[in-house]
Amino acid sequence: MSDHELGADSPLTLPGFFDALADGELLGGVCGDCEQVLVPPRPACYECGSRAVGVEAQPTTGHVHSYTEVHTAPPAFEDEAPYTVAVVELDSGGRLLGRVDADYEDVAIDDPVELRVRDPTDEERAVALSYETEWPVHRFELR
Amino acid sequence: MPDPVVAAVGSSALGRTDLPGRDLFSVALVEAFDGLPDPAEVCEALYVGNQSEQYEHQIMLGTLLAEWAGMRDVPAERVEGCAAAGALAFRHAVKDVRNGEHEAVLACGVEKMTAGGTGGATDALSAAFERALEQRSGVTAPSQYAMLAQRYLHETDATERDLAEIAVKNHRNGARNPRAQFQQEIDVAKVLDSPPIAQPLKLYECAPVGDGAAVAVVTTAEKAAELGVDAVRVAGTGAAAHTLSVSERDLTEVHGARTATQTAYEEAGIEAADVDVAEVHDAFTVCEALLSEAAGFAPKGRGYESPLPPAERSEGWTDVELSTSGGLKARGHPIGATGVLQAVEAYEQLTGRAGDRQVEGADTALLLNEGGLADAVTVGHVLTTEGVAR
Repeated sequence: MSDHELGADSPLTLPGFFDALADGELLGGVCGDCEQVLVPPRPACYECGSRAVGVEAQPTTGHVHSYTEVHTAPPAFEDEAPYTVAVVELDSGGRLLGRVDADYEDVAIDDPVELRVRDPTDEERAVALSYETEWPVHRFELR
Repeated sequence: MPDPVVAAVGSSALGRTDLPGRDLFSVALVEAFDGLPDPAEVCEALYVGNQSEQYEHQIMLGTLLAEWAGMRDVPAERVEGCAAAGALAFRHAVKDVRNGEHEAVLACGVEKMTAGGTGGATDALSAAFERALEQRSGVTAPSQYAMLAQRYLHETDATERDLAEIAVKNHRNGARNPRAQFQQEIDVAKVLDSPPIAQPLKLYECAPVGDGAAVAVVTTAEKAAELGVDAVRVAGTGAAAHTLSVSERDLTEVHGARTATQTAYEEAGIEAADVDVAEVHDAFTVCEALLSEAAGFAPKGRGYESPLPPAERSEGWTDVELSTSGGLKARGHPIGATGVLQAVEAYEQLTGRAGDRQVEGADTALLLNEGGLADAVTVGHVLTTEGVAR
């Protein structure tokens, strides 16, 4: 694969992934050999090693695979603690971590959730790296 | 190929200290070289495990520590792998001696975690996790491991009390280790009643923030004999990187740790049942359970029985004694030094220097050091007294 193909508009790079996410589309890599879903997409499959990775829109619904509550947050998120985070398994089998907009006590393993995406706040932009400032922020809501 | 041995070890005080990292290293070096020639006369290279320059705003630790040891114009470098940095440094030393590159190498680890307060440590440690989706969601080290613990409790028969017993056992061991950051025993109620850090993990299930340094001289058996010191043979080494992201991994199976352990066993020509003592990476209680299973000590889903006396564990468990140093929980977890501290404990157990916590007849040890979330990277070493003249 040439450098040209892996530019910032490619969904196999992070800028390409977040551009699509800002438009409400969650992209995953899908391995052409073993069907592993990779979120975010990347050029090679960690499950089988294949570089035959295609890109497909992922469902935005899934369920809680595991979860917890952060009490002592990193300095950038101090004012937001405590907050709930979860590993979510999408209906496609792909997984990603995100905040859950619910109290820890109201969440359980296997709870159905849906992805929500919003623009970063001024506070989030202030602690972002230069290339992250326009990247949207994803969260999950209980369904 | 020369068989690498550990010929000398040393450590600084562990915990909240008033010494900067380089001085902690000096303290560890003084202990290791007590009665020996100068480090520059013995060692031909240096590796130092170190998690983060965020604590002391200092990189180039290879050069700095070599300079402080009086070793100039030698290969010297810092090794990074979060909490596995120490064992990675140790592994580089082992491989250099094994392949004949150097006759003796100084393996070091150092971390000055308290320099930036709790916020500084939380921030520096969060850098070990995937940035784009996970750091930006506000994960922390305890929250990442809590994902494992939550799932482990969901999938196995283990209870929160069972996990708490791991911390109780490791404090009991730490109380018998003069090097330990915490030398007080605790009971299970103290663990269960401690504040939640990231549910289901509570304060007393989490390894503490602390400073520390450790060193190990890795050399040949011949050189150790020439120095007139007891040697412990490094019979096997293995390392494996798994996935950085918590979401992409199996939350109740540390595949990378299993691979690293198996490689070390195969090199050493041993099986899990041959291991007498093991230092596993109990950064959080659930880690000891998962690593007991990955190392082949426990059947799947039964690793949480590690605090039980061998006779009371489920069928399929070996009689290994785990985290005799007190583990990361009580001995302490100065991140980059931890892998070398594990080698310090193995050296003491296998040479009969472990005092009140000595496991009688211990002749084979397994060390498992992990970095990032769980087995994002794991380094395994088998140390043994077999094949070493006394």
